[in-house]
Amino acid sequence: MIAKSDVERSGTTEQAATRVCRVAEEMFGVLNEVRELTAARARAVRDSGRRLATADLEGLRPLLFRRLGVVLISGIGFIAAPGLLADAPWYLEWWQESPSGRPSQLLPDLDPSSSAFYDYTHWDWYAGPHAGAERTICGPYVDYLCTDEYSLTLSVPVTLDGLFIGVAAADVFVRRFEAAVLPALREIPGPAFLTNSQGRVVVSNTARWVAGSVYRGTEGFNVKPLANVPLSLVSAPA
Amino acid sequence: MAGQGEGESYGVRRPGDRVAVPMNTTRLAVFSPLDSTGRVDAVVRRLADAIALGLLSDGEQLPSEAELAGRLGVSTVTLREALMALRQQGMVETRRGRGGGSFVRVPAELDLGIHLRTFAVEELRDLGDHYAAIAGAAARLAAQRSLPSDLAPLWRSLAEMADAESSAERRRIDGRFHIELAAASQSARLTREEIRLQADIGPLLWLSHDEVGGHDGVAAQHRAIAEAVQQNDGERARALAERHVLDAIDLLIELRLRVQE
Repeated sequence: MIAKSDVERSGTTEQAATRVCRVAEEMFGVLNEVRELTAARARAVRDSGRRLATADLEGLRPLLFRRLGVVLISGIGFIAAPGLLADAPWYLEWWQESPSGRPSQLLPDLDPSSSAFYDYTHWDWYAGPHAGAERTICGPYVDYLCTDEYSLTLSVPVTLDGLFIGVAAADVFVRRFEAAVLPALREIPGPAFLTNSQGRVVVSNTARWVAGSVYRGTEGFNVKPLANVPLSLVSAPA
Repeated sequence: MAGQGEGESYGVRRPGDRVAVPMNTTRLAVFSPLDSTGRVDAVVRRLADAIALGLLSDGEQLPSEAELAGRLGVSTVTLREALMALRQQGMVETRRGRGGGSFVRVPAELDLGIHLRTFAVEELRDLGDHYAAIAGAAARLAAQRSLPSDLAPLWRSLAEMADAESSAERRRIDGRFHIELAAASQSARLTREEIRLQADIGPLLWLSHDEVGGHDGVAAQHRAIAEAVQQNDGERARALAERHVLDAIDLLIELRLRVQE
């Protein structure tokens, strides 16, 4: 026999999953725009018979600026595969919100001979798409180099005729993501929380499992991977 | 978006670029807002330490007075007084006119005693108490919450530190290691506090290691902390991180007590 509470939990869990997917799809939709525009520019430049250069990526800015600050996004851009560009072995066309309200460009040290060299290929938001993941959600993590904020980075691979040329990515503050999905999580009777692919809690409806803690497979929980989004909704009976 | 750059340069900047968001951790620490009563002294200490450690190199131009004052969170008047003191110590040279500005001068001989003299023993102890509390709490949370992917940057930094060729380079990686460790706590506030405390006391702690040649012991402490975090042993990670700070502070207090007023 199925108890009434189980039916209710199942229904609200389903609704919360739908809500989270809608929020994530919106952000991945923006990344798709960045990906398509980047690939289109790369193709046009290639067809004109020269190699892509940093100046070609400036054409992404109108789109990046339009998307910055909407659908939760606090930073957005394209990260070139090392060796892709003619005039810079490493390059990010990366923009973020600033207190002034104008987008500001992130300009890390990309000279490999410097001790400050920023090798972005180590990071999951680059390594994931590079290894073939269609969608990556990296974090939550403390972004101590850009914003000092607790953040998520979403990323997708950019390809040209099947060849990997870099990553389209966006940063989202965890507090903004929480505001977007917590109302739906709260409807679930009993503890419920979202985890990333490694088990790190992103948003939760209980103090027992707050953002940043790790779900390591405690028994009694049902883990529901979300459709097309690398997050899971973990819940237990009230 | 996170990365692990830090060190000498603001980054790639071309003519016509918009103002860069400074990206590397050492720079963030050097130019992060000051929170101190003696503001002129604090600015002098911050910049003198950075010069002593090679974070700011000989001949390098400092940002404009207005920009620097804004970043440090002090008034232009305070900044000018501090620059005057640094000029008197021969650590900054100011040129007027076109192409002018304030430039870093690294004195031939650096004396830890000169830096230490600006701290009372009581202040050093208090800074140590504060730093140990932050570092210990961050290490405990990191051990509770860390996943294998959080450990990778820590081990990478320790390996790089072992291979580092200069003291300045080791010091930069040391700073990065502690910030990565704090960030593994998942607490943005503890991470910010770690960055701020490193700016206040990190350079001195480092100079004290240089003084007694204690870098092997420091490296062993780093490895022990990283192992405790990896084993999710929160209490041991906390105890080791506190010990790491307090040992260095003890050393510094001993050195301070030997400095003549």
